[in-house]
Parts: sequence; structure tokens; C-alpha cells
Amino acid sequence: MTRRSPTETGWPYSRPSAADKRNTMITIVLQQEAIDPGRIIRDTGSDADGALVSFIGRVRSSSRGNTVLSMEYETYDEMARKQLQKIAEEATSRWSLTDCTVVHRYGRVAIGEASIVIAASSPHRREAFQAVQFIIDTVKEKVPIWKKEFYSDGSSWIDGKK
Amino acid sequence: MKIKVKAFASVREAFGFDEKELTVSDGITVKDVIRQITRSYQPAIDREMTLLFSINEEYCRDDAPLSDGDRLAIFPPVSGG
Repeated sequence: MTRRSPTETGWPYSRPSAADKRNTMITIVLQQEAIDPGRIIRDTGSDADGALVSFIGRVRSSSRGNTVLSMEYETYDEMARKQLQKIAEEATSRWSLTDCTVVHRYGRVAIGEASIVIAASSPHRREAFQAVQFIIDTVKEKVPIWKKEFYSDGSSWIDGKK
Repeated sequence: MKIKVKAFASVREAFGFDEKELTVSDGITVKDVIRQITRSYQPAIDREMTLLFSINEEYCRDDAPLSDGDRLAIFPPVSGG
């Protein structure tokens, strides 16, 4: 598999120094436009990896008994990027990933669309599975992103658990 | 000294601003800044509301002291993903 460079894909890639030294790659993206999970899966990992695990978080049509029409994500951009980078670096070093991509949406996201896509690549499957589980759990706990649900008769912020 | 205060999500709506520069006394803590904001802007903030804080994009506690030029962010528990 040939890895495309950031300039070829045109994504706003961000690279960590520590992970690069170990010949691994971390890609963090916050974007308003729809996420293409297929593209992320194609672009993550290399032929040296036996496993690529991906997680796609989607916007549900119902929540707490309400019919949700759409969702809006607000981000604290600079801090969210820093936190995502830290989480990906920790996952990469704990589970020896060779490549890790985390893409999160902001702004209005339609029902059924992906709000987050995580892809982790490693020589063996166990590490990639554990890393992806860790990343999504930690994103939900630490990354400053908030969602607001829109219903036919109003909207409501979903505050996470402390 | 001057600090920048950012508010997000439900806290932004309660405070009525997303970013504001405040002149505060040296050594002021996050807790004191919140008190000052509450007094000045009378936000419709729920006393039971859990708030999280960061200084210069790193999480901090409410007794953390601020320095000149710091960026303090105040926000509710996160709900991304």
C-alpha cells in the first residue's frame, strides 16, 4: 500500500514529534464537512500491519425518549487538538501502533452521519482493538467537544458526566 | 493584569459571551474569576452546574492561580465522540 502524503490528500494533518521518531504516524483532524470513513481506512496503516481496527461514531435518531432531527458539535479547537494528540500518542506508545487517525466533526451533523472516525493500525489485532477502545473512551471523557441535540420543538445541550 | 476568558457550550450561553478580556488582580484564582464573572454579568448559571476549567489549553482545578496573558476556559463536562 502506498501512503499518500498530507499534501496529496489535502487534509489538515498534524504530526507529533515523539511518535514520528518511532516511525509511527498520528493524524488528528477536526472538520466541518462529512467524514469519509472509507478514505480514512484506506489511508491508515501499511503493508507491515496485520490489523486495522476502525470505530465510527454516528448520530442517533433518538435520545432519552426524544426524536433527534440533527446534532451540532461545538469544539474548543486548540485544546481539542492538543487533547486528541495526547490521547493518540498515549495509545500509540501503549499498544505499539504504527498508524493512528482520529477525525471528529464540528458544526451541524445529520442523523446517521459519522461524528467521529478512529482508525488504528498495528502488526497484530489485539493491540489495535484495545487502542481504539481506549481512544474513544478517553475522547468522551477528556476532549473539549460538546453536542447539542435539535428536536422538532427545541434543542438541548448534552453535558457529559464529570 | 489581563487574562482572556473563553466560555463554551451551555456555559457560553449562560454567560452570554464566548470570549472576553478581563482585568484582574495579580494571583487571582480560577474560582475568583468565576465569582467576578457571575457578579458582573449575572449569568443564568445553575448553581448545580458542573464546571470544568483549563488554563492555556490544559485542564486545571478551580484553585489554580492565573498569570498575566493566560487563556482561561470555562466549560461543562464534555460530550463529544
